[in-house]
Amino acid sequence: MESLFLQQTLNGLIIGSIYSLIAIGLTMIFGVMKISNFAHGDYSMVGAYTAVFVMAWIPGWIGWVGSVIAAAAVVGILGIVTERIIFRPLIDRWTDIDMIMVSIGLFILLENLAQLFFGATPRMISDPFKSATVNIGGISTSMLRVLCLIFSCFAIGVLQVFLNRSKLGVAIRATSQNRYAAQLMGIDINLIYILTFAVGAALAGVGGVLYGTIFAVHPLMGAMPTLKAFVVTILGGMGNLRGAIFGGFILGIAESLGGNYLSMEYQHAIGFCMIILVLLLRPTGLFGTKESR
Amino acid sequence: MTDILKTEHLSKKFGGLCAVDDVSFALEENLIMGLIGPNGAGKTTLINLISGAIAPSQGRILFDGKEISGLKSHTINNMGIARTFQVVRIFSKLTVIDNVMAAMVDRRQKGPWRLAFESVTEGLTKGAGTSKDRDAAEKLLEFVGIARYRDELAENLPYALTKRLEIARALATRPRLLLLDEPSSGLNPAELVGQIALILEINKQGITILIIEHVMKVIMDISNRLIVLDYGKKIAEGDPQTVYTDPNVVQAYLGSESHAAH
Amino acid sequence: MRTSMTQRLAAGAGIVVLLILPQLVQERYFLHIAVMAGIYTILTLSWNLLAGYTGQLNLGHAAFFGIGAYTSALVAMKLGISSWFGLLAGGGLAAFFGFLLGFPSLRLSGPYLAITTIGFAEILRLVAINWVDLTRGSLGLSGIPLLSPIRLGSWTMKFYYERDYYYVVLAAVLLTYYCIRRFTHSEFGVSLQALRDDEQGAQSIGINTSRYKLTAFTLSAFFAGIAGALFAHFARLVSPDTMSLHVTFDTLTMTMIGGLGTIAGPILGAVALTFLSEWLRTLEDFLKMDIRLVLYGLLLILTILFMRGGLVGLFKGLAERFRSLQRSRNIGVDHD
Repeated sequence: MESLFLQQTLNGLIIGSIYSLIAIGLTMIFGVMKISNFAHGDYSMVGAYTAVFVMAWIPGWIGWVGSVIAAAAVVGILGIVTERIIFRPLIDRWTDIDMIMVSIGLFILLENLAQLFFGATPRMISDPFKSATVNIGGISTSMLRVLCLIFSCFAIGVLQVFLNRSKLGVAIRATSQNRYAAQLMGIDINLIYILTFAVGAALAGVGGVLYGTIFAVHPLMGAMPTLKAFVVTILGGMGNLRGAIFGGFILGIAESLGGNYLSMEYQHAIGFCMIILVLLLRPTGLFGTKESR
Repeated sequence: MTDILKTEHLSKKFGGLCAVDDVSFALEENLIMGLIGPNGAGKTTLINLISGAIAPSQGRILFDGKEISGLKSHTINNMGIARTFQVVRIFSKLTVIDNVMAAMVDRRQKGPWRLAFESVTEGLTKGAGTSKDRDAAEKLLEFVGIARYRDELAENLPYALTKRLEIARALATRPRLLLLDEPSSGLNPAELVGQIALILEINKQGITILIIEHVMKVIMDISNRLIVLDYGKKIAEGDPQTVYTDPNVVQAYLGSESHAAH
Repeated sequence: MRTSMTQRLAAGAGIVVLLILPQLVQERYFLHIAVMAGIYTILTLSWNLLAGYTGQLNLGHAAFFGIGAYTSALVAMKLGISSWFGLLAGGGLAAFFGFLLGFPSLRLSGPYLAITTIGFAEILRLVAINWVDLTRGSLGLSGIPLLSPIRLGSWTMKFYYERDYYYVVLAAVLLTYYCIRRFTHSEFGVSLQALRDDEQGAQSIGINTSRYKLTAFTLSAFFAGIAGALFAHFARLVSPDTMSLHVTFDTLTMTMIGGLGTIAGPILGAVALTFLSEWLRTLEDFLKMDIRLVLYGLLLILTILFMRGGLVGLFKGLAERFRSLQRSRNIGVDHD
């Protein structure tokens, strides 16, 4: 009984860490550019497919690490391309609705391009550990999942260091808080936009590799991560990075425990119910501060 | 003359900040009262409280003897108070005349369900509102001087004219009290003269006016009374000449930051 | 708005053509597409009322469609009464849910409202999948009865063929068009648009924006529910996929490409894309490639980037250019 609880909590942490990774990108992009990108999950999908192909080419450990790097690169570039061509032209011109609509268009486009090129059959990212399992005090899980958890936390850590210690990272945070002041301080807004999008997308791409590792890889897989990422972002407060990190773990654990103890069928509804509560009671998010105008 | 508007110990706190601090004043019917004070003194917050955009933390607001504190803005508008905004809030995708027609709808009697139902049952009439409303809207546009723009999209209107549109729209709700929030900002001296004439003409028609203004010329020319806020508190009230030379008022303007009159 | 004589004549001619269309093109396949185009038209018109005229981004529209479909199907199958009652029940229940979904819109907007409405639709979809006793889960309800026969004098419509459905759907489309047009071109409509353009400004002129939003949501949902009910009796199969996000995205794409915030836009978008879709299917068979949705996504992006007013906006722009060219010709000035 007890170990089931711990087991599910661990599962929740693992999935949650992936949610955090994907959501961080989304919340960063929203914080800096005020763009709500409904295609965000498709960045994860592209990352996952990148991994499928890299690992088919270079199997094992090296392949896995290589595929993560490749995913980050490929999706990073995709992010820059979509930012320049689709989002940037709209940024000061149109309304919220337009942004969301155009990202929905991108979502439909990417999803179906993937279907066109890769076919609808789900693929698997081969397990470099060859299904080895690990046992910690009565709970067992696959080495692969543990790797995912460790890697997510590592990636989040690296991001934090980047945002807090590096010049560019601080510039991004500044722009997120006050676009105009940042420009006055001599920060090149264009560079920041490109960088934010690249990093945000790359994180989603890496998250996609991990997501695809645990679940299957198929062209329509982007919808779930998109919705989960938005749920996490709202839980944590849109634009709030720390909130996205904690929110991801919270969602992961809530889904895992809720799914097992309450109802498996409605597992995916748990996130939506949570955000309905949050939006009614604390619209700025569980970790958000009161918005300053 | 009765007091059409009265506030009693009105306060509004935002977190730790007291934007409006224990303000009590009375406004007689048919007068024009100017509301002045340095930037951040709480003037717009006071207007927001009176118009119902925000609810008071403490105190009361009385309109024509009836308490309106905490009522929603649409209710307060239906009772006879209209306002304009510091940054205009016109309906950009509607035509100029539709902006005014939207305000002419009799909402005291008819809610959305009734209006929706009536729209279907009334067959094929021409456009929004009856021709009686359209004539009245035309007259208002003429009154503020933008009649020839009637079929333009409001978003295509030059900034100064959008302010006038907002005034026409506010007047269309048949108010007894009109709250103007910096109607003169962004106007050149020639336009200011027209603005003053317009406000005086509105007042002549029996509408009481409470106006926030930074442009001293406008305020001094048209106000019957002045009230001065500083850091949320009322620091002076009375006839313009006296208030203008009140040492507290001078101190407030020159003491904090050098905020010169235009 | 002000309909000139030419416009009225054109409209009259159009309606005549629509009425005799099944006689002109007797092909069943064509009529089948036409019925689907009609159902989508009702969906787009109703979504547009909420999004284009009231400014509320509802991404859960498919839920109303699905509720209408399931309700009508269940009423016909479990209660055995005339399917026309089911139609009304479908619309009514959808309207009720529309009213409920209106409440979040009182506090939320933009992406927050979008996600909440998606969540709402997803939760309902999960209910449809899991409440197997009622809905048969993922299998869905099949063998839904046809629309009950109606008798007009000596003539009976039995709904064995597409042609009969065509006429019913046409009637529904015309009714929906009439209602939505009256809603939007009236005091009610101008109030909704004021609310859309500036909510605070609207409140300052006495508009109770909360009540108007709830009304708009309810009306929008009602028509979507009717569309769903018609779909149920036409396709004779409903499943949780009937409420999927893709249905909403289709509706949204058609409306945007046709022209948001106009009356002709949704109609144009729905009809054009439904027929385009079918044409693409034949092309796809030929090319052995699934490009329909790729094209949808591409079109949506291009429309928002370059053709914000949709097809209607494009035509209006061209008409303006044409008219100003005429004017300069009349003055005798050599332009360009």
